[in-house]
Amino acid sequence: MEYPKLYEPGQLNLLFNKREFFICIAQGIYTSVVLFFVPYAVLSDATQSTGEPLADYQTFAVTTATALVIVVSVQIALDTGFWTVINHVFVWGSLGCYFTIMFAMHSQTLFIIFPNQFHFVGRSHSTLLQPVVWLTIALATVICIVPVLAFRFLKLDLKPQLSDTLVRQKKRKPVGRSMGGVRGGVGSVSEGRLGARGSSRRSGYAFAHQEGFGELITSGKNMRLSSLALATFASRHSSSWIDTLRKKKHISFTHSQTYTISYSISPNQH
Amino acid sequence: MAKEKANSGPLARRPDNSAFKQQRLPAWSPMLTANTVLPFFYCMAVLCMLLGVWLLVTVQNTQELKLDYTEAGTCNACFAKRENASNALQPCNCTVVFPIEKAFKGNVFFYYGLRNFHQNLRRYMDSRDDAQMVGRKKNLKSPSTYCEPFEKDENGLPIAPCGAVANSIFNDSFTLVYHGSKGSTIHVPLYRSGLTWYTDKNIKYRNPKFVVGALQEYPNAFAGTAKPLYWHKPVYELDPHNPDNNGFINEDLIVWMREAAFPNFKKLYGILNRVSEPFTEGLPVGNYSIEISYNFPVQYFRGRKEVVLTTVTWFGGQNHFLPIAYLVTGGLILLLAVILTVIWWKFGKDGKNMKE
Repeated sequence: MEYPKLYEPGQLNLLFNKREFFICIAQGIYTSVVLFFVPYAVLSDATQSTGEPLADYQTFAVTTATALVIVVSVQIALDTGFWTVINHVFVWGSLGCYFTIMFAMHSQTLFIIFPNQFHFVGRSHSTLLQPVVWLTIALATVICIVPVLAFRFLKLDLKPQLSDTLVRQKKRKPVGRSMGGVRGGVGSVSEGRLGARGSSRRSGYAFAHQEGFGELITSGKNMRLSSLALATFASRHSSSWIDTLRKKKHISFTHSQTYTISYSISPNQH
Repeated sequence: MAKEKANSGPLARRPDNSAFKQQRLPAWSPMLTANTVLPFFYCMAVLCMLLGVWLLVTVQNTQELKLDYTEAGTCNACFAKRENASNALQPCNCTVVFPIEKAFKGNVFFYYGLRNFHQNLRRYMDSRDDAQMVGRKKNLKSPSTYCEPFEKDENGLPIAPCGAVANSIFNDSFTLVYHGSKGSTIHVPLYRSGLTWYTDKNIKYRNPKFVVGALQEYPNAFAGTAKPLYWHKPVYELDPHNPDNNGFINEDLIVWMREAAFPNFKKLYGILNRVSEPFTEGLPVGNYSIEISYNFPVQYFRGRKEVVLTTVTWFGGQNHFLPIAYLVTGGLILLLAVILTVIWWKFGKDGKNMKE
């Protein structure tokens, strides 16, 4: 509880609101367009070094799917704030799983049992040996990830959140204590940025957000503070504090869309 | 001791004090600071540009010649003839003449190309029976219902190979002729095997087994089936002289059955045979003509037919998109890196001027 201000973005619903949702959608559309058109443009004229053309449906499918899995894994890796053993296992493990399952599905054994269902036999073995395919996947990854990196860097540089400056300060001090609330959980990739970088050795659950985008989409009460978040946190505060918070939040959303933490909240108004 | 105490009292269900359960696992936490991101961008830009230059140089060494023969030369007569479906069984031959100005050095590949033919249509792609093509007797006699309406002919006999994909096989054939400087006319020899992927030829397509010792083995294996509706001859007569290229394992059939992903595609027809003169180094300079047996009608879908001749490198044929894309991406990343550096220098807040 050294830095109570770190709790603010969660309370003020700054991280899962409509604007973030549309930014996510826009990034998804951009990535999809890149992942389709780059392999399309490359493979429509490409041939192997043995002369056979690479423009067939199954090569295109394997290339696009592999590029997709790699881009998503890189994106997750960018989002992961704390790389514990579990994170490593799941990120590299999911990549490995993808390749294993793909090779298994394209194997001759399954084709012999069910020829009509597994008719991609031999595809991945031949396709993934072509340098053109890997160059295409690399190009698609670079085109998808570089804008994300640039935006993150700009955001960090121009409008650093309190948690980020905190981590920078800590990195400058000698590391007497370890990086505190380290994350052991797998599903916590998007929370790492905000919460767990506090120096508290308590679990990072205190910084956990509320329900995420599901609530936003299905119910439309996205502009109001979720009662769940307030109930867990504000149990020992009076209702007047909650009212003050609500009013301030309403003001902040009507005036600006940024999430700089610049005003203070006085918590004890009994 | 600790256990007895933990079994009762207010601390009975406290989790263990292990690193895993108390979330104290050692972790690496990367951060996007200026001294990691900006060098990364510059490196990436340089890498992309080098790769683009290298690929461009490689691609410049390949040569490609495309020839649209739908209505070229004497083929416009055949084009008009094929408009009428009742002429479908009548043969039509035509010739197209073209020059090669720069010799094709190395292995030369001969492709036929189609434009505006959507082999990637979903219903078309489903209209095949892979179990039949792998030689199962049961599917030979009763093909899958996905092949409708190309499953049985009008007499009720099952069609082998069934489906729309096999039915629409490309049936033009080509003979390339070289007109030497001394007026000689030499047929260019082409390998018509080795066109397919290994797994296609040996695993995915197999002929049904026949009774050993019976005369005329191939027709025997396909007894009780009919040829597809649009074909001129049945599947066991595709290459009667070569049992390794007859029936379902015929290379032209296998090449056609591998559906293309896009409406404008090319498929391999033959590879230059460089055993004899004057083709030991590739295709020499001179005038060439192609004699075409023109069967495939493209008017119905407003398509075009073409012939492509290329040489290849380790990178494949002539494919300018990838090197140019790498160069453009490298340039854009460099621009972005410069802009980010300027912004970081002038406006960056790296914590020194942030008020707590």
